[in-house]
Amino acid sequence: MNFIVIGCGRVGSELAFGLYKNGHKVTVIDSHLEAFESLDPDFRGRTLEGDALTEGVLERAGIAEADGLASVTNSDTSNAVTAHIARTIYKVPIVVARNYDPAMRPMMEVFGLQLVSSPSWGAQRIQELLIDPVFRTVFSAGNGEVEVYEMRIPSCWNAKPLAGLLRTAPECLAVALTRAGCAMLPTPDTILQEGDLLNVSATFNGIQKLRACLDEKEEA
Amino acid sequence: MFVMIAGGGRTGAQLALLLLAEGHKVRLVEHRRELLARLHQELPTEVIYEGNPAYPTVLELAGIREANVMAACTSEDTVNLTLCFVSRKIFGVPRTIARINNPRNAWLFNENFHVDVALNQANVFAHLIQEEMSMGDMMTLLKLRRGRYSLVEEKVPAGAKAIGVAIKNLGLPDQCVIAAIIRQGKVTLPRGDSAFQQGDEVLAITDPEGARQLATLLAPPQPNGATSV
Repeated sequence: MNFIVIGCGRVGSELAFGLYKNGHKVTVIDSHLEAFESLDPDFRGRTLEGDALTEGVLERAGIAEADGLASVTNSDTSNAVTAHIARTIYKVPIVVARNYDPAMRPMMEVFGLQLVSSPSWGAQRIQELLIDPVFRTVFSAGNGEVEVYEMRIPSCWNAKPLAGLLRTAPECLAVALTRAGCAMLPTPDTILQEGDLLNVSATFNGIQKLRACLDEKEEA
Repeated sequence: MFVMIAGGGRTGAQLALLLLAEGHKVRLVEHRRELLARLHQELPTEVIYEGNPAYPTVLELAGIREANVMAACTSEDTVNLTLCFVSRKIFGVPRTIARINNPRNAWLFNENFHVDVALNQANVFAHLIQEEMSMGDMMTLLKLRRGRYSLVEEKVPAGAKAIGVAIKNLGLPDQCVIAAIIRQGKVTLPRGDSAFQQGDEVLAITDPEGARQLATLLAPPQPNGATSV
């Protein structure tokens, strides 16, 4: 696929190289020539020096043929404006914008853009690792507002129905149960066994409650 | 009218003073410490709202829901575009005006970002200078929005070809209308059979070609007696 990456800083250079390594055609745009020095020496994509918002620069980058565009500079207003024109003027099928300053996120959301907020997501992950090392995150939706966790069923919940466990945490949905290497879709009536791996989709609040409940039982 | 100004640089501050003098309600939003110190010396305290205008919550607290106009005057084009978009889309501001800092970004300032009026400072100045160079005494008083027409003014010098000729016989193109003549301090609205006198100030609404022809008719005679082209 053809991708355009705008901004060749920490995020942009990693992203461009990652896409290139996965066999995609990549064009990276940055207004400072020195920025391209942060690209991996093995990067064989295209680099284009210029301001992406100047008329004609995105055309020269091949935006008409682009399957996706990511605007990942450290200016949130630039990322919002570039992503907006990519969607509205050039009709690029997939457009992603980086959110640099979390306080700017509400402004970017007005444009209805697909956002990745590295600071918010990073802080969320670090908080989980500090508080909740037992619950492994297997998937993170949005910017970490909802995540899918994997946890091991302790002995205190052996031979009890799943509904009993979920009643304690309303912001959790059970999405998969793996027993002896075989996964199934659990129902509220599913009887848990010690050692089952349960996947739940939950908010941070929800997973906190679920964890508290498992801890209580173990202590009792 | 209630005008919300974003950005307290020279442009924003000057606009605030002008609007206040005309009796409008103004709120200027700015967050840079170094500018706020100066703004507090120039403007009444109640006019200044301290906060980053790029944050929608700041605009809301500054009262944007009641504003009739958003004037986005910051020194960053992407901020000005974003401000117009957010002002219309979220807060329903009826009119948005944006300053263009870099003329190469001018193509972005349109309805795609809910910009009603874009003011390209560099462009306006460049055109004014260009006209001053080519037209001699002709002054452009006002560029009419979204068109090639301008309101121009020129003083009739001694010996100009147009003196004593009825306006209808001057052969001016349709795109040039003589709007007013200021004679001895009094404004008169000319008719087709009115004629210019030496010392008249002529106000015309015209396109560039009409302005060129009018300038020829109102030019002073060449020193060697040849007619001007």
